[in-house]
Amino acid sequence: MAGEAIVAEELTYWYGKLVAVDHISFNVAEGEILGFLGPNGAGKTTTVKMLTGQLKPKAGKATLLGMDVAQDVEKVQAEMGVCFEETNLYEQMSAIENLRLFARLFDIQPFDGYALLKRVGLAGREKKRVETYSKGMKQRLMVARSMVNRARVLFLDEPTAGLDPTSSEAIRNIILEERERGATIFLTTHDMMEADKLSDRVAFMDQGKIVTFDTPHNLKQQYGKRALKAKVSTGSGELEDREVILDTPETPNAIHELFSQEKVVTIHSEEATLEDIFISITGRGLQG
Amino acid sequence: MNLRITGALVAKDLSLFFRNRFFAIITILGLIFYIVIYFVMSPSVNESLEIGLYAPVVPTMFEQIQEEGLEIKVVESEELLKEGVTEGQYVAGIALPADIMESLMSGQKPKVSVYFASDVPEEIKDAVEVIIRELAYRQTGQPLSVKISEDILGPDMMGMQIPPRDRLRPLLAVALLIFETLGLANLISEEAERRTVQALLVTPMTVKDLFVAKGITGIILAFTQATLFMAIVGGMSQQPLIILITLLMGAVLVTGTGFIIASLGKDFMSVLVWGIVIFIILFIPTFGVMFPGAVTGWVKAIPSYYLVDTVHQAANFGAGWGDIWQNLLILLGFDLALLWIGIMALRRKLQ
Repeated sequence: MAGEAIVAEELTYWYGKLVAVDHISFNVAEGEILGFLGPNGAGKTTTVKMLTGQLKPKAGKATLLGMDVAQDVEKVQAEMGVCFEETNLYEQMSAIENLRLFARLFDIQPFDGYALLKRVGLAGREKKRVETYSKGMKQRLMVARSMVNRARVLFLDEPTAGLDPTSSEAIRNIILEERERGATIFLTTHDMMEADKLSDRVAFMDQGKIVTFDTPHNLKQQYGKRALKAKVSTGSGELEDREVILDTPETPNAIHELFSQEKVVTIHSEEATLEDIFISITGRGLQG
Repeated sequence: MNLRITGALVAKDLSLFFRNRFFAIITILGLIFYIVIYFVMSPSVNESLEIGLYAPVVPTMFEQIQEEGLEIKVVESEELLKEGVTEGQYVAGIALPADIMESLMSGQKPKVSVYFASDVPEEIKDAVEVIIRELAYRQTGQPLSVKISEDILGPDMMGMQIPPRDRLRPLLAVALLIFETLGLANLISEEAERRTVQALLVTPMTVKDLFVAKGITGIILAFTQATLFMAIVGGMSQQPLIILITLLMGAVLVTGTGFIIASLGKDFMSVLVWGIVIFIILFIPTFGVMFPGAVTGWVKAIPSYYLVDTVHQAANFGAGWGDIWQNLLILLGFDLALLWIGIMALRRKLQ
């Protein structure tokens, strides 16, 4: 059985009178992808800062790979990689220079920056200054930088935000490859589809607390409602939507009525989304 | 402190500094500009007084005094003499009567006309009058009935007056040092503004490594330029060790100042504004070297005074350790204080 990569115990942080993170506890197993979800201001960033040693908790404790983050911050940071939401690369340096700088900081020898850049799809642009890169290319480089030290724990903050579908898919594949390698991934995102696709478990955070923590499948089972969505043709030739809620005693009759009384043009099943579940738990959406 | 990490950061910062076109150009052109200024200035001091003379018969005494720092130009007529004085060719014009020798020998008082331009300082008028009286005594062979005693207050500069360009040397060296505060402050400010420091702080690098690296970068940039300048303009010919140590301490001073500016500035423009304000303050003591008497005692409250004064004393007068140790001690105190304030302010900003 895999050990625990991340353990948070009663982790707490406040800014003045504002409690940003309120006694949260959770753990993430080695090799697991955790989707960390919540609206802006929920306390996600503060939590990540405490887990990565950028902030010391006001109360509680964070442990990474068995090491106390506050006590052994340098050892902890040597084992992790962080990809920030906002681009923070040295733009007047080339991609390869950016990676080599961080390889030196992590004391990685020998270091093959070209192979890493090829992996994120930046082969051929290694020596161009980062300031000439598109947003997607910069984001790929940010992901590459977080992997310079073959981190055992990766913190990825909105790694696909604002990217085109191709770039997003490339980054998602890299995340899965890293998991295959054995890395633990702490994925902070607003993208429910992405969290659903990638995460082994998801944590919903709201107002400084973790409101739910489980696998996407279990959450859907517990909170979601499955439905059949149909488009039917009316007498005048127009299309109208129909919905039949599944898993209820009335479902068989409702389906029968739909097909016997209406002219069904298209039909498909629909599962609850994580966004639906978040709304049902907190009463508000993730973008708020 | 981790040497590998510090080395990587210093190399990165130096590389970024010279990739910033503004600072790269300013640094290189600034150095060239200051060197050119130094070499186009006169290497010697002209202390002779040019005096015009109209005399039908030039007395021998005037030939003697030419060897003592006075330049006498004999003109053809009194009118030409007046014209020369008016046009500023001579600081004064002396017109002697044709019978001056006879009058002097017979004990009479000959009339000597002395012409001055309207803007001649009172000191020159007095000096010329004294010269004429002295010459008259020499000519008649009668000694002055008073004993003159000379007391030199302060260093006796007789025969070792400093040419303007050498006087300017400490000013230019210190200007180069001070200007580097801007470059360093901008490097640090950009690191915070672009959040690259956040990326650094989640690696095994510590905040201490960061400050040491920034400090080394600042010292290298400032010290190298000032030392290069002093070496090229011959400022190391006297007391090179004292000058090197003083410039090094000056580089530490400006590094501390750079930290403070970086903590105040939010972007390039605000760094520039704060930098110029501090540049002007630190630059004030240099005027004291260029124009002695132009600044009052309060200038000693400005840290750069001890830097400028030490470089001036050592480079221009060969002052030794015994003469400048107090300056260096005070400078060290300012170095430590400014570095401490700068680090505290910057740490707060970065967190």
